[in-house]
Amino acid sequence: MKLLRLILPVLFPSWRFFSSIGPSPRIEVGFASTAQLEPADWFPVFPLPEKISFTSGIVQLLHNPKWNDRLYINTCAEHLFESHSEFHEQQIAQRLLHLISAREIPVPINAQTLFFRVRALVAENGQLTEDITFISRAFSLPTSGDDK
Amino acid sequence: MTLELAVRIAEIVLGVAIFQQSIEFVRGIQPEKTLGFIRALFAILLTAGIQPLLVETALVVTSIILIRRFRGPYNGGSDTMTMLVLGCLWLSHLAPSRYWQEIAVGYLAIQLILSYFQSGWVKVVNAQWRSGEALQQVFAVSAYPVSHQVRLLARRPALLLYMSWAVIIFELVFPLALLHQTLLIIALVVAGLFHLANAWLFGLNRFFWIWPAAYPIIIWFQSRLMVALQ
Repeated sequence: MKLLRLILPVLFPSWRFFSSIGPSPRIEVGFASTAQLEPADWFPVFPLPEKISFTSGIVQLLHNPKWNDRLYINTCAEHLFESHSEFHEQQIAQRLLHLISAREIPVPINAQTLFFRVRALVAENGQLTEDITFISRAFSLPTSGDDK
Repeated sequence: MTLELAVRIAEIVLGVAIFQQSIEFVRGIQPEKTLGFIRALFAILLTAGIQPLLVETALVVTSIILIRRFRGPYNGGSDTMTMLVLGCLWLSHLAPSRYWQEIAVGYLAIQLILSYFQSGWVKVVNAQWRSGEALQQVFAVSAYPVSHQVRLLARRPALLLYMSWAVIIFELVFPLALLHQTLLIIALVVAGLFHLANAWLFGLNRFFWIWPAAYPIIIWFQSRLMVALQ
């Protein structure tokens, strides 16, 4: 029954692309030496490049896994705007930990735990406002040899 | 175009699109990494035309596993269209008669038309889209622009107003392309360029590969419709 609820919207879709522009999520990570401590600093992940060259554009047309994973993380973050979801929190954390294992997110020395938070950006009457909508629980950082 | 030829071309393009999607998973995390490998292999068989019914059955099963894994589509509309194209082509092989075959692929053609028309409709009834403000927010705030250079387009309201109306009008008039095959081919070329622009500006590369998989089906559908109306 649960599976049917997931499949039916795919078989009978609603094509409402960009029907309204809601709050846009931004993910930031923070680190601490124990799960009990809160991060002192937060760092944005997925910074945008200044520009994309023609060659990179062609390559990304064929193969752009990082960008598509980023879009998936944003979808998970949008679910967290609505209500807390252990599943979506876990999905974001798993992907951030994978990026840390791949050394794509730098980790401070002595850090043992990862936190992430979601900022919601809203544009209203030409003004940009933002609000922190979610702070995750602590996730243990991978040790050497994890995530194989 | 015959139904058989349309289905075969659609399967070739679908195979390419699924291969492209699957390869993006193989440097990721489990279990989608393994599923990516498996689906990439089936996608090659599909493009080669080897045992399409069996291969499509395997792809339908792995698609359901992925939907369950992500509790919905991983990549929104592109995964939805992938599943629709795959499902309809699969049903066309299972169909007991020509009539049911046509129903299966006809459903795909109608969904393709709706994918443009409904998107245009939800925009034209929205005042923010009509004023260009919605597109300005997409560039300024949303997570989609692929670079700071692309984000700067938010500062060009006149251009965004033209772009908004170009998209709205194209999406709304798309169903009229069914009136003539030449018109339809032109509309599909424009649609392909539209997906290319979305891939270039917003990184939506999967849409660029999967939507054309349904184009041979709509070309067949248009000629079938003309025959039915004569």
